[in-house]
Amino acid sequence: MSDLALKRRLEARLAKRLRGPVRQRHDQTEIRIDPGEVPDVLRTLHDDPALRFEFLSDLCGVDTGVVMQVVYHLWSETTSDWLRVIADGLSREDPRVPSITFLWKGAEWMEREAYDMFGITFEGNRDLRRIYMPPDYTSFPLRKDFFLADDAARSPGAGVRHMEQTHTPRNAAPGTAIRVAKES
Amino acid sequence: MTTIRTPSADDPRVMLEQQAGAFEPIPPYPPRTEREAEFYTLGEGEMFVNMGPQHPSTHGVLRIVLKLRGEQVVDLDPVLGYLHRGVEKLAENADYHHTIAYMDPLEYISSLFCEWPAVLAFEQLLDVQVPRRAEYIRVLSTELNRIASHSLFMGWFALDLGGLTPILWSFIERDEIVEMLAALTGARMLFNYMRIGGVNGDLNHEFMSRLGTWMSRAASQVEANTTLLNENEIFVRRARGLGKMDRETALRMCMTGPNLRATGVPFDVRRAHPYSVFPELDFDIPTRTEGDSLARYLLRVDEVRQSLRIIDQCLHQMPDGPVMAKLPRRLTPRPGRAYAAIESPRGQYAVYAMSDGTDQPFRLRIHDPSFLHLQSVGLLMPGNLVADTMAIMASLDPVMGGVDK
Repeated sequence: MSDLALKRRLEARLAKRLRGPVRQRHDQTEIRIDPGEVPDVLRTLHDDPALRFEFLSDLCGVDTGVVMQVVYHLWSETTSDWLRVIADGLSREDPRVPSITFLWKGAEWMEREAYDMFGITFEGNRDLRRIYMPPDYTSFPLRKDFFLADDAARSPGAGVRHMEQTHTPRNAAPGTAIRVAKES
Repeated sequence: MTTIRTPSADDPRVMLEQQAGAFEPIPPYPPRTEREAEFYTLGEGEMFVNMGPQHPSTHGVLRIVLKLRGEQVVDLDPVLGYLHRGVEKLAENADYHHTIAYMDPLEYISSLFCEWPAVLAFEQLLDVQVPRRAEYIRVLSTELNRIASHSLFMGWFALDLGGLTPILWSFIERDEIVEMLAALTGARMLFNYMRIGGVNGDLNHEFMSRLGTWMSRAASQVEANTTLLNENEIFVRRARGLGKMDRETALRMCMTGPNLRATGVPFDVRRAHPYSVFPELDFDIPTRTEGDSLARYLLRVDEVRQSLRIIDQCLHQMPDGPVMAKLPRRLTPRPGRAYAAIESPRGQYAVYAMSDGTDQPFRLRIHDPSFLHLQSVGLLMPGNLVADTMAIMASLDPVMGGVDK
């Protein structure tokens, strides 16, 4: 099902900038890059006549429990696959990645959302403020160390508490289990 | 030093202390970004008007701070989050079957389209083959839902332009479809009908007889309903040239669906990245080049006609067989990532799911087209009159349940 020609094109054009192999499953092709390479790689994907990924389908943040990631999904008429670009290895303490609003202005709100939910700073986004949560809110709800009040199974001693809490439960035992992503 | 706190939604004192519905347009804290500082600085002869959050034409609970010069909009700042329920977080704490019920209230006008990408993504994670009959039922029911959604759009759009009759007409159409889907799924609005590996229940007699009666007059009814607006000079003159967007800007703003196709880009996920049985079905992708509000309206009328074609083909081509794949009750997909997108009445609706091998999604990202269309309002409105802002917004057809997630 996956587009093998796309894999070869990506390997040829992005060779040194890829972090790990090009993965393919179902109708998706996945590449991983360093966060610093994002503007460069996405510009290549957007402008290269053999790739022409002109349509940003989705942008979202991911907290794997170990690192932060920013995931871009792109569409192009040159391939039958979705291209997934993962900016991998952002630190969980201070996740930073360059903004891509210079290519797709529409990414502005999606970056705001990723900032709101994960605290990822998109450098170059001119309007990076919270979008869903109230402006005085201090935590980042979709991080893995943000536990829901009724998520007692995963957070020993978490119990019911005020929803607005800092990252780790105050009364959590040391080594409280944070869900960690497993890669296939 | 005192810190200024704006009341948080989960603060129980809010209900006691704050007078309901009173919102200051200027936020009581220093600006956080360049853009915010620029927006909340008034120039010569400018003023702020706070529209919403309770406003009949904001299509949900949305607040827009308008910066006006006289009656002209200079700039605007949409304030979201009034309907934020944190579905993505809830889904991480629910099992895979449970997640589908959370997807329904996102775009409550077209709930089946919210369930579908989630189900598709989970099926990719699990490597499940869906029975062909189930695929056809999915297409059939969602296309009906698309017509219901579009007919409601036509009513709303006219209502926001000041015409009261079309909304009554469109609710007649929508109600028939909704009753039909209620016979099929058991619910009128939040269907919870799709299942991982198929659908919940085969077509039944009541659904088929209602559908047959409706289909026999649907095509002529569409024409009759649209003549009310298409040949209305006041409506056409008001909508033509309003909120014009060109092709490049629409792509740059990540717009999809009818709003993108009205600018001349023939991007429809059903053809651009086919899923389900759409490759076997014969239908056109209507496009228009004007990119204004009228084009967006007319395009949706064309789409309704195409949906009727698809429904007709589904009824003729539908095979016999089971409607559910055999799956265990407790689903534990292998670790991996999946992305599924479909064409909803508003544009590309997508779900990005990650599995970590447990029975709960590790991450569930919901991509909603309304969110991005609402963002482009910021480009379309400046320069227009206050009254036209409503018309432009209605023509983009955002649903706040989906925008706020």
